[in-house]
Amino acid sequence: MLETIIKRNGAPVPFDSTKILNAVSKANKAVGEEEMTSTDLLFVTEKVCRELQTRNLRHVEEIQDVVEESLIRYGYAKTAKAYILYRAEHTKIRNAESYLMDIYKKLTWSPALEEDIKRENANIDGDTAMGTMLRYGSEGSKFFIDNYILPKDASAAHIGGDIHIHDKDFYMLTETCCQIDLIPLFKNGFSTGHGHLREPNSVESCSALACIAIQANQNEMHGGQSLPNFDFAMAQGVRKTYRKEYEKAFRAFLQITEGMSREQAEEQTARLLPGDGARLCMRDYEAPGTLPQFPPGSEHGDLSHKAHAYAASEASAATDRRTYQAMEALVHNLNTMNSRAGAQVPFSSINYGTDTSPEGRMVVKNLLLATQAGLGNGETPIFPVQIFKVKEGVNFNIGDPNYDLFRTALETSAKRLFPNFSFLDAPFNLRYYKPGDYNSEVAYMGCRTRVIGNVYDGSREVTCGRGNLSFTSVNLPRLGIEAGGDVDNFFSRLDEMIDLVFRQLMHRFKIQGAKKVRNYPFLMGQGIWLDSDKLGPDDRIDEVIRHGTLTIGFIGLAETLKVLIGKHHGEDDGAQELGLKIVGRMRGRADDASRETGLNFTLIATPAEGLSGRFVAADRQKYGVLPGVTDREYYTNSFHIPVYFPVKAFRKIQLEAPYHALTNAGHITYVELDGDTSKNIDAFEAVIRYMHGHGIGYGSINHPLDRDPVCGYTGVIHDVCPRCGRKEGEGIDIDFLNTLRKIYPDVPVHKQ
Amino acid sequence: MLLDTQKQVTRKTVHKTVGENVSFERTRRITGYLVGTLDRFNNAKRAEERDRVKHATE
Repeated sequence: MLETIIKRNGAPVPFDSTKILNAVSKANKAVGEEEMTSTDLLFVTEKVCRELQTRNLRHVEEIQDVVEESLIRYGYAKTAKAYILYRAEHTKIRNAESYLMDIYKKLTWSPALEEDIKRENANIDGDTAMGTMLRYGSEGSKFFIDNYILPKDASAAHIGGDIHIHDKDFYMLTETCCQIDLIPLFKNGFSTGHGHLREPNSVESCSALACIAIQANQNEMHGGQSLPNFDFAMAQGVRKTYRKEYEKAFRAFLQITEGMSREQAEEQTARLLPGDGARLCMRDYEAPGTLPQFPPGSEHGDLSHKAHAYAASEASAATDRRTYQAMEALVHNLNTMNSRAGAQVPFSSINYGTDTSPEGRMVVKNLLLATQAGLGNGETPIFPVQIFKVKEGVNFNIGDPNYDLFRTALETSAKRLFPNFSFLDAPFNLRYYKPGDYNSEVAYMGCRTRVIGNVYDGSREVTCGRGNLSFTSVNLPRLGIEAGGDVDNFFSRLDEMIDLVFRQLMHRFKIQGAKKVRNYPFLMGQGIWLDSDKLGPDDRIDEVIRHGTLTIGFIGLAETLKVLIGKHHGEDDGAQELGLKIVGRMRGRADDASRETGLNFTLIATPAEGLSGRFVAADRQKYGVLPGVTDREYYTNSFHIPVYFPVKAFRKIQLEAPYHALTNAGHITYVELDGDTSKNIDAFEAVIRYMHGHGIGYGSINHPLDRDPVCGYTGVIHDVCPRCGRKEGEGIDIDFLNTLRKIYPDVPVHKQ
Repeated sequence: MLLDTQKQVTRKTVHKTVGENVSFERTRRITGYLVGTLDRFNNAKRAEERDRVKHATE
């Protein structure tokens, strides 16, 4: 009898024949037929042991070989097959384990500049301690999910590059994103899970608490956070600030002009401005007769008219100034505050532009001005992603109440790349719109996610308190390659792949639904997610997350068309027709799944940052370099016309717009302008207006935006900085820099 | 010889320079988000950014 065997790592361990018996028994049970009695099991085990002895085999792999041979020899072919599969599975896991350790080594010892894996997401600093810690967790989690959680077909499809399960590392944990309504959250204050905050009573507090709410929610979800009604929410703070400033100025006027004592002035102010905060707002001064007055002929006569005029003018100026500072603080905070253990700032988006109240308008004007001014050294703010909601009758045409803000938004975007523009008049957005109800206005997440329709509850087709649950993307070009250019074959492969993705989304949804409110103390505990306020801490969340979306996405429509019919949709009308048919099929299948399940299955034009290179690398390895398909380092984003293809701006908008109508979970169209055109606000506006008129849901204009951190110049820099004349990496004389600062006050001061 | 070295030292103290090895920042939009510098882009996105062509408005 063997006394010891040799493990894979070379270590000797005592031989235990029951391990062989158990393994055979497990394999036999997995077969479900060819049943082995315990006598049969003992018999095979005995034969294996004898064979090992005879041939003097001690290594674990050799032992497994003998088990396989013996099963086959004694007529247990099916059990042998199951045993072989079991062995292969474990080999895969073991290999993966060393694969995981290789990743950990890279994360630990290679700088981000050298390792692509550390630059999967450009807004996470892979070189910092917490950035690396986050990646350890992420990579370890992915390994666990692949090998122990995912259905085998989904896992194989992901690893093989047929599909991409986004945020797979969070598979067991949470949902993607949420559109946060600050207005009910602020009412009576809220708790972040780490402490309670009082209801904000000024624009500064509203701005600070907005940042805290974004930060707290981002730490409970794996995607970004959006404020869909930023102007409406901040306007409440402006109103409170205005009221306070008004009282202050009114009192001061009485003290100074009438020589009243402080107490007298306070008393008179309180008499005329009773403590009803909501009554007094900026608009009151458009109809001054409505304001409370001293009775005619009384001691103070017609003083109140003058006092009101003074107070209104002082309060407006002071509130405007304070609102600017609050917006400046918001932009600074959202670019600097830590999230997720300090590895990144929160991914934040804010939507605005439709509040026509004087307070809401003051918010947007000052936010835009603060954005134009930039950060501390004039840098372009990266966060929040700003989205200006374009709406006819509100801000789109001359004469609309917020048209001036639309113009300022265009100027700001021409200077700072933000805001992006969303179009509430696009037919698929307009159908939800109810005038004066921000909850009916479609909002976009910065990355392009859109959530509004609701098959689960048709009476709740609203923006606030909802978001995406998870999404998975299909490698469309591969389906085209595999179909060998046969369009019908492509569609049947696409249908099969969609089936797989929907099964996988449902698998994930069941895991998500089994979570409880206490797993999300802010998102669910504070009632941010729709209907979560009706749940207790130990309730499961499966009912309420049905308001969210389960989403399928795609990448590389252009390459798919190339492989199927030789041309992409920028080159050929037939290709455009086929492109719309493909994306239309995906949308149709999502709608079918929604009807069958009562869940919000939707289609997204996948944002694809990390994914842009992953599929094409796998496909190039598998199929070689196919011109126009796998010959670049990236697959073209979603339905976009390829970035390298010359096309006029208006034509690009025409071609991409129909896909916006199909991708109900989100979309974006970019137009690239050169530096000079982007400075021409009328040209800039013409492009945005064209988007509005042609059914674009969400769009933006890209233009080169460079900055020299040495002299502070912002604009286009080719090889030489136009302000200080240095080339990349060159030093310049500090005296020269000091001279420049006399002309340009924004030249940064450098530490010596 | 000695004089030359002295001269160099003097010039160094008088003419301080800043900005050696400092790159230009190039802010670009990907996915809908902005990114402050191309250094943080993954290889595929860098290639995509490099290939982008301008769209004429005429």
